[in-house]
Amino acid sequence: MNAFIDARTLPAGTVLEPDLAIVGGGPAGITLALALAHTPIRVMLFESGGLDFDTATQALYAGSNAGLRYLPLDASRMRYLGGSTNHWGGWCRPLDAIDFEKRDWLPYSGWPFGIGELKPYFARAQALVEAGTWRYDDATPSMVALAPLLRLGDGGVYTSWFQFSKTRDNVLPTHFGERYGDDLRHIPNLKVFLHANATDLGLAADATRLETLNVATLGGHSFTVKPKIAVLALGAVENARLMLASGGISAAGVGNQNDLVGRFFADHPIPRDTATLVSFAGDMAGYYFNPTQVGDAIVRAAYAPSDEFKRGRRVLGSLTTVENPVELNDLDKAAIVSAALAVGADASNAKAFSVGCGLELQPDPERRLTLTQARDALGMPRLKLTNRVSDADFQRYRDTMKELGRQLLGAGSGMIRLNYGTRSAWEGALDWGDHHMGTTRMHVDPKQGVVDANSRVHGLANLFVAGSGVFPTYSASNPTLNLVALTLRLGQHLRGVLR
Amino acid sequence: MSGPSDKERGFSRRAVAIGGGIAAALGIGALGLTVPRLLGRHYRQSRYDDLLAQLVDREAAVRVGQAAIATIKSSARSAPPQGPDQKALAKVLRQRLERRTLAEVTDSDLAQGFLVEVQGWVMPITLVMLCMLAALES
Repeated sequence: MNAFIDARTLPAGTVLEPDLAIVGGGPAGITLALALAHTPIRVMLFESGGLDFDTATQALYAGSNAGLRYLPLDASRMRYLGGSTNHWGGWCRPLDAIDFEKRDWLPYSGWPFGIGELKPYFARAQALVEAGTWRYDDATPSMVALAPLLRLGDGGVYTSWFQFSKTRDNVLPTHFGERYGDDLRHIPNLKVFLHANATDLGLAADATRLETLNVATLGGHSFTVKPKIAVLALGAVENARLMLASGGISAAGVGNQNDLVGRFFADHPIPRDTATLVSFAGDMAGYYFNPTQVGDAIVRAAYAPSDEFKRGRRVLGSLTTVENPVELNDLDKAAIVSAALAVGADASNAKAFSVGCGLELQPDPERRLTLTQARDALGMPRLKLTNRVSDADFQRYRDTMKELGRQLLGAGSGMIRLNYGTRSAWEGALDWGDHHMGTTRMHVDPKQGVVDANSRVHGLANLFVAGSGVFPTYSASNPTLNLVALTLRLGQHLRGVLR
Repeated sequence: MSGPSDKERGFSRRAVAIGGGIAAALGIGALGLTVPRLLGRHYRQSRYDDLLAQLVDREAAVRVGQAAIATIKSSARSAPPQGPDQKALAKVLRQRLERRTLAEVTDSDLAQGFLVEVQGWVMPITLVMLCMLAALES
């Protein structure tokens, strides 16, 4: 068994020379280490934090915000082994086929490959996030056997299903550091260094390869790593920061020859109480409100636009969940009675519920991370996030919600009220998913992406990026399951490269 | 896992819905029907009674119509300050409801996506127009 190594104990001047350096011990970094276990590849993983939350280490994440209100940068992620799985909610759902497509009406859309490229890795990813048997949109018959769905008329929105990560029994969710710590210790070809902060990516003079990785500890130690290959797995925010801050050879930073690193930042806006859903019949099945155990899976219903509807109506992803009962005023009741009577329904027992929604933003190069003059305790420049959403983002969400309302009335089962009529009111209700994506986007063309189809940084032979930072478009699905699958694919690729 | 608890309060329409027998006898289809309102509430005669008769719960419709009119007055730049007028509404409604019931036209509106928002409620447009007419005639 390999004990984790406290980087603060390494002698000054230490130089490490692994085959592969994994920078970051979150879900991507841990997944990659597990994927390369028991291979001839000598792997070292460098994690900034320790095994638990530490205030001083977490403070390295602090930055500033501009534009649309967003969470503080040191509050929307976690900096210790396991990364942001230490505070995730465990919500899982695979990307949809359309998420990979180039859509002529959606600028910057299109992955270098289709969903088929990820499918071989979904089973293992599902196992790693411990979400039980793969059900998702195949769960409907099992759930209907428990209780009936709220009927929807024909249309573009359908009842989809989340699954939830669980560590054991129904304890949610899997914290990768805690869950896989022992597994990492038992991998003979892996060494894990804690309290090890990557502070600089040193390129060769011709800027075609990474030569050195400078690593520092908060106690003032520093050492050097000279890997054959390095994979950045720090999360979408910190990957961009390290690349932008590493300006030794190229002043713009590593991989930033086309001014793309840090641009296209994305998250999932989650407008609270965004709508009111009425069930004319009253009670709805428990699986609309709560994660519900079905066999070894934990499942919850959500309304999603179909790929066909997205194409036809030019909308993006959204996942709408039913939340809590709400009170109604006299006008609300009048609208419900009138509409129910018009569709031949009896609303005598109707009940109303608030609705939440996580939704996909369109790619936007001006929603971005940039370096500031402020420095952290390690001397690294801090980040500023400039955040914004567009009129189109607001309108697309409304179009999908109205379609849901149309289908409920069409089925005579219910109706919808949109609670925010203006973009400004809607923005005031936005929470965010802490699903950082897009800042090192993937594209075959170096002018349109930071990494290529294999997640290799364009122009550099031996630097790769893992995680949802490479997502060129974002879906509405929560990223963890998908970034784990994508990382498993990267692991497969690296096995070939390092053979 | 369970659904909403017993404490979660819904609401009940004040009206009591009765079945299709009486409704059919009265020639208005098998929609829910308010006995007290039908028997006890009288509205002044209107030249649009042929249209307004399609509304089963006139009181609720008036409230929806008032909200819709208020929305139009406050938001539509090109709308006349006095809001929509009965004559224009009735003309459109007679075209839509000619030889068709409100239920049939509602189905058609839903199929074609002819929807409007009234204080955020997503509703079929013909129903809302009829509610506006009821409000103007109340």
